[in-house]
Amino acid sequence: MAEERLKGIERSAEEIVESFVRAVETLPALEETYYSHELYNIMRPDGKPSSSRERADFRKRFVSNMPGADEDGNLRVEVARWTR
Amino acid sequence: MDEVTRAKLKAIKSRKLSPVENVQQAQERIAKLNKKINAFIELNPDALAQAEALERKIKRGGKTGKLAGLTIGIKSNINVKGLRVTCASRTLEDYVSTHDAEVIKRIRAADGIIVGMNNMDEFACGSSGETSAFGQTDNPAAPGHIPGGSSSGPAAAIASGMCDLCLGSDTGGSIRNPASHCGVIGVKPTYGLVPRQGLIDLAMSLDQIGPFSPDVYGAALLLEGIAGRNPNECVTLDVEKISYIDKLDAGIKGMRIGTSPKFRELTDPKVMSVIDGAIGKLRDLGAEVVEVELPHLEKGLPAYYLIMSVEFFSATRKFDGRKYGKRIEDVCGDEVLRRILRGRYISRKEYRGKYYQRALQVRTLIREELMAALDKVDVIVGPTVPKLPHKMGEKISVSAMYVYDYLTIPTNLAGICGGVIKAGEVGGIPVGLQVQGKALDEGEVLRTLRAFEAIL
Repeated sequence: MAEERLKGIERSAEEIVESFVRAVETLPALEETYYSHELYNIMRPDGKPSSSRERADFRKRFVSNMPGADEDGNLRVEVARWTR
Repeated sequence: MDEVTRAKLKAIKSRKLSPVENVQQAQERIAKLNKKINAFIELNPDALAQAEALERKIKRGGKTGKLAGLTIGIKSNINVKGLRVTCASRTLEDYVSTHDAEVIKRIRAADGIIVGMNNMDEFACGSSGETSAFGQTDNPAAPGHIPGGSSSGPAAAIASGMCDLCLGSDTGGSIRNPASHCGVIGVKPTYGLVPRQGLIDLAMSLDQIGPFSPDVYGAALLLEGIAGRNPNECVTLDVEKISYIDKLDAGIKGMRIGTSPKFRELTDPKVMSVIDGAIGKLRDLGAEVVEVELPHLEKGLPAYYLIMSVEFFSATRKFDGRKYGKRIEDVCGDEVLRRILRGRYISRKEYRGKYYQRALQVRTLIREELMAALDKVDVIVGPTVPKLPHKMGEKISVSAMYVYDYLTIPTNLAGICGGVIKAGEVGGIPVGLQVQGKALDEGEVLRTLRAFEAIL
């Protein structure tokens, strides 16, 4: 069932791509636009480092979201099958 | 039309209404209506405490921010520290945000009070509000019909008066589409005007955060609060704080307004008839209405879906179920999976030139056409959505769903701004007028919306 669903969605995804490409094939070739901007702000300012309290709070919140964290807050990951 | 936000702000500042009372009223209304409408999927347990703190500050005579005491709902793809930010997906159903998005920091600094997280289409992948893993949202303005999407919750929350203002995000129309279907104000700002830091991406080159409000004043106020350069972002625009409120009531006499025959070609005649009436009213207000050419407008749709899918595929690779959440492909809905698979397909090396680069060329074409049209006029007006919203639960094809986005997508591809206001109704269902402006011309867009609002 899951396999069938996946195949069905995959098929519809590819069909849409093909139909969309057909819809634009007669248009002229132009330069590509990746962003509507031409100027980028690539230099971030040096900020004050966050306080140790803020860092501890962030770590606590981050760890609480990890699905496989142990009681010490370490990330538990599955051992890769190929190592067995 | 009444300016409810201006009146409420005045009442709070003059201490006729306390922030605590305002939050309590919002919470009562949410408790009463949310079971049916499903506009909120998470409430902020600290909202009342924040209102009490603000009240103490007001009593002490302390200086308050421009959003002081207003209740604000946040679309569930914008990080709010301590609240579950789920993108309405099982993927992130247990994710409690570790940080505030930049826009949330700005709202807090302006003394706005966040009351909760709004429902949405899963990962913003939808135009109907039906794909949320936490149940679909009803349309308070046309019960039993879809509210539009993907910012279904914010639009429905405003339309039902659950809170004063909301934040949504717009990648291909996700603010303007539900604003149109729910009869509220929605504004998609110029790309780069509002910080995206802390927004969970749908498509990073198109996403933009913007306001929902029951009136134009509220939208202008919230936009003022969140707009402006963020030095930590690479695509931020070099814009300092702007006032949109100052010129809001300047009127539109002498303004040049463009409209395109292409809109009529793509739009349901019943919807177009309401829009024609609205354009007539703008002319009566002293605007000069002229025709502009947008010959390839409809080609924006295929280009958008190709670009968005590639960017979405890339953005979702972090949802692998290790650091937080569940693996996205294992738990997401059909539309999210369709976009991921489409993005994966297009991203294959052998297809890059055929699909992705071709779509980026069409983006250039749409952008050039819109820019050329906006060179001749101050704003372009037309319908927001080409058809009326379908009934909830009604099955429509994938391509019929994408048609909802025909008229909103070009704004995102060009990176310009757009706003929506209710123009009228067809059989009791709201129809929104879309006003598009040049990059950073939010002031003109808001001025046009306000002039129209003032005569309703």
